[in-house]
Amino acid sequence: MEKTKISLNIRENEAYIRKRCENCADILIRPMRLGDGPKVDCLMVYIEVAVSNMMLDDSAIGKMVNHFWEVAPEQIQEFVRNNSLGIADVKKLPDMETAFAALLAGNAVFFMDGYDQAMKISSKGYPNMGVSGAETEKVLRGSREGFSDSVKVNSALVRKRIRDTRLKVEEKTVGVRSRTMIQILYIDDLVQEDLLEEVKNRLEEYEVDGILDSGMLEQLTEENWYSPFPQYQTTERPDRAAQELLNGKIVLICDNSPYALILPSSFNGFMESSEDWYHHFEMASFLRVLRYLALMTATLLPGLYLAVIRFHTQILPTNLILSFAEAREGVPFSSVVELVFLELAFELIREAGVRIPGSLGNAIGIVGGLIVGQAAVTANLVSPIVVMIVALTALGGMVIPNEEFASAFRLLKYLYLFLGGYLGIFGIVLGIYMTAAHLAGLLSFGMPYLVPFIKKEGQGGAGEGILRLPFRKRSRRPVYAKQEEKLRLKRRKEP
Amino acid sequence: MKFAENNRISHRQLYRQMILAFLAPFLLCLLGEGRVLGKSGIAGIFLAAAVLSVYVLLLLRMVPGYSDLVKSLGAVTGRAAGAFFLFYIVLTGAYLVSVLSELTPAVLITGIPGTVISVLTVAVCSFGTHKGMQRRGRMAEVSGGILLWGVVLMMILCLGQSRMSYLKEMAEGSSVRGGEVIKNGYQVLCGFAGIGLLPFGLKDVEKKGKAGKTLILGIVTLSGIMAGILLLLPAVLGWERLKAEPYPVLPLMAGADLPGNVLARFDVLWMGFLLYSLLFAIGSLFHYGHQITLKAHMGTGRWWLPAAVFAVSLLKFGGRGIQDYYRFYLSRLFLPGLLLLQIYMAFRGTWKRRNRKAVSAVMLLAALFCLSGCAAIEPEKRMYPLALGVDAEGEGFSMTYGMPDLPQATGQEKQEENGSIPVLSITGKDFQEIGEIYDRSQEKYLDISHIQVILLGNTLVESGQWQEFFSYLKEEPFMGENVYLFRTEDPEAVLAWDSGGTSAGAYLTGLLENRLPEQQKEGVTLRQAYHQWYQDGSLVQLPRIILEEKGIQVYLNPPGQ
Repeated sequence: MEKTKISLNIRENEAYIRKRCENCADILIRPMRLGDGPKVDCLMVYIEVAVSNMMLDDSAIGKMVNHFWEVAPEQIQEFVRNNSLGIADVKKLPDMETAFAALLAGNAVFFMDGYDQAMKISSKGYPNMGVSGAETEKVLRGSREGFSDSVKVNSALVRKRIRDTRLKVEEKTVGVRSRTMIQILYIDDLVQEDLLEEVKNRLEEYEVDGILDSGMLEQLTEENWYSPFPQYQTTERPDRAAQELLNGKIVLICDNSPYALILPSSFNGFMESSEDWYHHFEMASFLRVLRYLALMTATLLPGLYLAVIRFHTQILPTNLILSFAEAREGVPFSSVVELVFLELAFELIREAGVRIPGSLGNAIGIVGGLIVGQAAVTANLVSPIVVMIVALTALGGMVIPNEEFASAFRLLKYLYLFLGGYLGIFGIVLGIYMTAAHLAGLLSFGMPYLVPFIKKEGQGGAGEGILRLPFRKRSRRPVYAKQEEKLRLKRRKEP
Repeated sequence: MKFAENNRISHRQLYRQMILAFLAPFLLCLLGEGRVLGKSGIAGIFLAAAVLSVYVLLLLRMVPGYSDLVKSLGAVTGRAAGAFFLFYIVLTGAYLVSVLSELTPAVLITGIPGTVISVLTVAVCSFGTHKGMQRRGRMAEVSGGILLWGVVLMMILCLGQSRMSYLKEMAEGSSVRGGEVIKNGYQVLCGFAGIGLLPFGLKDVEKKGKAGKTLILGIVTLSGIMAGILLLLPAVLGWERLKAEPYPVLPLMAGADLPGNVLARFDVLWMGFLLYSLLFAIGSLFHYGHQITLKAHMGTGRWWLPAAVFAVSLLKFGGRGIQDYYRFYLSRLFLPGLLLLQIYMAFRGTWKRRNRKAVSAVMLLAALFCLSGCAAIEPEKRMYPLALGVDAEGEGFSMTYGMPDLPQATGQEKQEENGSIPVLSITGKDFQEIGEIYDRSQEKYLDISHIQVILLGNTLVESGQWQEFFSYLKEEPFMGENVYLFRTEDPEAVLAWDSGGTSAGAYLTGLLENRLPEQQKEGVTLRQAYHQWYQDGSLVQLPRIILEEKGIQVYLNPPGQ
């Protein structure tokens, strides 16, 4: 695309800008005349809320502009030419397109008569939430900081944890209209080059009008778009992102999104929480085993319940199956309908809890669950045991640390429910076979999803399985890292 | 792995594929009546393992010849060779599908037609089989270990049911004779015939030149498990019974329970493991079939292969299906043919260089669910007798079902209720008629999987008609074999006796089991009774129950004996 040059004549520049910014009330164009004696015409263009007057006063260029009142016009131009690049928050912009990109990114742009370049005066940009706590990844131990919705703040939060110039932050803009800034973070000597190349290619693959959240970016670039399983790990914790960078992974941060994307991702990665690295290995391993049990509960329990009570009553102790039979006396629906009904009721309560603001949402969850469950039992719509099954299934789902991953199993649960309900254990085994086949075929940026459960010879020592190795035994990086940089821990001197 | 060479499978994945693909077909189809059994069976397994260990090393050298059959053998011979392998795949797949569709409705989920099972099996197993060896390798790596350890664990749990005296029967009843060993060994080799397809997949194995050790380890593991099961089977079921059982691994776990009474029985889990392995075996056949069609330049086998397998599994000639012909085909046609073909390939010196559909599938599955849905029965619509009384009466039999006192059993007693123990008696000329009378007169489905005790009437025992009763029980797959047996004068009266709210089943089981280990009484289980019956046709001596005015007395060693 041909670039529009910045004219030496400030009037021509002003006319061009005014034409492009017609009916953009939020973009302020402020002409000014600077200099002692004969004046120099200047122009400051900025977005009203994104650049505050206070910032202009406080910034180095602001102070410089104030100084220009006392300087001769020829000295102003010479001063700008010689010194502008020395000022930390100033960057020269060679053409109008670059100038507008800087303007729309939330900076002020300064034009001066007789000077064919503009100057970007960096500002803090658009309003954002600032650094807040991680809402969806709460931990008992570890940092409380969470990502914000500003890409710059987010990369700074990661940089705060990895103060090394080998941490690279590459910027890209995606979205023809939204011009959303994406940052690609990686550690230069740990990342695998072909993975990095692949990520960049994927980002270039589509031309889209707007990217408003990392979720849109994720769906656009994932390999198996039809799979319910997420192929990007998301996190709103900078410490988690930093840890994964040290594992050789790549982190994508998208402007306006408090969630960073980590890739490649794996099944086991979704079952990990950042505090797994902070706890002692015994506790961390126990918690991981617990999460896997919860995962099985969340997926299989309703289906297994139906399979057992409808087909294989022999595997339950007699008193238990008699209790089940007694509890179901008078329920007008089949056990499949009964369970689907209650599961859907629970989904409604859950959605209502998420949508309704603040503490009212929590109250809806608890009270709704109790009241709907109790009322359904009293009205003989469902049996008490089914309420327990649904509650245990829901609890299991909530234990899974990653929401998108848990959602995939939430959907699978319905498949297993029907398979177990109509085909018994045969159906459950069919379902497990299909799930295993699907997961085995799934790749995240060329990396098998089932890593580290599948591994090549000599890939131990990373402590990446269900059980976590003691910290001092986790001497090697996982397979994601460059093979030449396998070692991540070594003893400085022998005791 | 893409970033660590993920286009080939590892040796571990190859090993686990072998375990998954062969284990269930071997356990189900190689062991049992008229097949590999006894000491000569064990010797035959090891003989076959030794032969196979040499054979796989030769196979490794043949990989290049298999990479393109048309290039290696010429257009006509190459395609003929491809057809030869495809024929094996279709028949083996059809045989396994047929076994699965016969066994699943009989022992796992009653009431669902075998055809529905076949369709579902073929549909699920063909899922993604055209997508490369890596997918199957990863699948095997993740689930193969679980299956292997699950099977070994179950074998260990099953040890608790075994008896040394039963094992001795096998030691005495079978011998190691050369002819028998060779015959058994040949049967095992026939079972392993699928290994002849390995060269089609070995090109996708990393360091394939060194894969021999892995393949031999796989053969040794499978042989070890088979030999272990061959020892376990007679130790649990008894030698004579084992010789008469068509699928002896199925009732192997019928009497086993988990410590802590978590599950009353886990034979369903055992069958689940076998089922998964069978599905993997069928999926592997589809995968190799697709590979062969590509390598023989015969298009793709993705669609027609599953359809052919399904169709052949249903075919019947003169009332005989694939299960009747398959063994003949395998031992007389395929195995010799395979050897001849491989010798030909070796001597020819040619091992040189070696979404509309998805919607239709969903619709079909949904329709099948609707068809199968009527088989399930809700728990409250079942009757759970805990005790069964049987006696001979006139020309026929009478059966009495002792029901549990539901409020008492579920802990939901109501003080004002004090009903008598419910029993249901039905008389008929044989057990089939009794079943028909039950179906005509009772609203609830009879679920006999929770029967804890069986009372045989004295008349039944003394007249020898108990054998008819046992034959009837053998047809009931859900009857646990850890059920206690007693004999008494009047079973109906014992079952109707009010033990203070407890049903006779729970009462008699408690009487035997609720004791300290040193006080534990030795009851007679159905499995022991079967054992003696198969052994010499007699009935084991049963504990006797005598109903008196003040209660019942159980004599483990009947008075006067």
